[in-house]
Amino acid sequence: MNRSDVLIELDQVNKSFGAFQVLKGISLSVKDGEAVCIIGPSGSGKSTILRCINGLIPIDSGSIRVGTHAVHKMKTEKEMRPLRHQVSMVFQQYNLFPHRTALQNVMMAPIQVLGHDPKEVEVRARRLLAKVRLSEKADSYPGQLSGGQQQRVAIARALAMEPQVILFDEVTAALDPETVKEVLTAIRELVDEGLTCILVTHEMKFAREVADRVCFTDHGRIVESGPPAQIFDAPQDPRTREFLGQVL
Amino acid sequence: MFNLDYSWLADPVYQGWLIRGTLTTIELAFASSAISFVIGLFGALALTLRIAWLDAFIELFVEVFRNTPPLLQMLFFYFTLSTIGLRVTDPATGVSVPLLSAFACALISLSLFGGALCIEAFRSGLDSLPRAVTEAARSLGYSRWQRFRRIEAPIASRICLPALTNIMTNQFKTTSQASVITVPELMYYAGQIYNDTFRTAEVMILVLFIYVSLVSLLSWGMVRIERALAFPGYGRAH
Ligand SMILES: Nc1ncnc2c1ncn2[C@@H]1O[C@H](COP(=O)(O)OP(=O)(O)O)[C@@H](O)[C@H]1O
Ligand SMILES: [Mg+2]
Repeated sequence: MNRSDVLIELDQVNKSFGAFQVLKGISLSVKDGEAVCIIGPSGSGKSTILRCINGLIPIDSGSIRVGTHAVHKMKTEKEMRPLRHQVSMVFQQYNLFPHRTALQNVMMAPIQVLGHDPKEVEVRARRLLAKVRLSEKADSYPGQLSGGQQQRVAIARALAMEPQVILFDEVTAALDPETVKEVLTAIRELVDEGLTCILVTHEMKFAREVADRVCFTDHGRIVESGPPAQIFDAPQDPRTREFLGQVL
Repeated sequence: MFNLDYSWLADPVYQGWLIRGTLTTIELAFASSAISFVIGLFGALALTLRIAWLDAFIELFVEVFRNTPPLLQMLFFYFTLSTIGLRVTDPATGVSVPLLSAFACALISLSLFGGALCIEAFRSGLDSLPRAVTEAARSLGYSRWQRFRRIEAPIASRICLPALTNIMTNQFKTTSQASVITVPELMYYAGQIYNDTFRTAEVMILVLFIYVSLVSLLSWGMVRIERALAFPGYGRAH
């Protein structure tokens, strides 16, 4: 593996909430253009990993590097700004700002945070809404959209920041089964275009299809990682086997 | 009791008093509500900074003003600020006069009282924001202040608008206590009129009617504002 290809690198990351150690020496590296899926039981620290990567939560020890940014050294929100530009995140639910329309949700941050030209941002935003097939919902408020539509707007909003990486945290977990597919389709297109993605997901079939690599987490550790075929068809660790036995 | 005599109402002097009193009441209510709103917004923002001494100070402020009678607060401000405390000597007459008028004291007092209630309202509004909304804003690179201004404050204000309506309605009624410190508002003039005419029941009925009308108008206005500011579809389950 060519080191310069590595876009995200976590090395021995530890994180505790009070006395409870959530992350126990997480090491993970993600290459430019790679799609990595993180699977594992609820409470195993998957969301925490993502939140640490874009600096939403400070870590206790270890290091996190994203591109040229040493995330573990960043103290203030101001220092994190360039990082936030580079790393976007889509959450499980209640992502969107309820007081703004879909289009405004997509346009807000590039204008208000990055200071881009509003006219140029609107063109970009409309193009991105078209990409997630929501052009006709541009003027709807989040409350008027289905969960799946909201998540697609959230994806468009993340893309509007022109990030190098998008972190997806169980973005389909709160959705009706029939709308899961439309969101997964949108994500799959991004992966196919070569955008670097880290996806926490419970959709095993999806993970198998899109991931270059799958990591299985349990109790704050990455127990096992490898190509999807290996993890799903020939898991090495008994904990992976047990988990897959339950969810597949 | 049923022989109500409203002939005094034909007197332009009394008409003038009622109109001036009503206008002063409205002025006091709106001005103090506006200041309360600002105090509430910044108080709640300050609480989100989680600075221990600031939290303690705001907490104390809220407790004191929320848990003491507004009348007492008004008297306190009147006597400390205007009588005992801040006085200036009028250069022309050489007489020592209060720096702050009774109206100013009432305004300060009501604003702090309402501000304490507004801090509580905004705080619960901010608390009820879904965590993901704040995290989404942070992950998009919004700074603390931008986040508050562009996202948290607009949403939280909308959420706590019914509570603010309540506070404002209360504020309107509480202005009547300013009559005690001689602020020439509606209650004050009402007292003047019945002292003059001895038509206590008639005056009180009329004043009651004026308050009911004003507060109803206010509630109606606030409901209109609530509707206008509602986020379409917000709160709907999906
Ligand atoms: N802010 C927090 N404060 C305290 N405990 C937390 C916090 N965030 C997460 N946790 C705990 O850390 C553990 C891992 O959480 P999380 O990363 O969300 O797991 P997952 O996403 O795999 O379900 C859970 O037990 C959760 O309760
Ligand atoms: Mg999670």
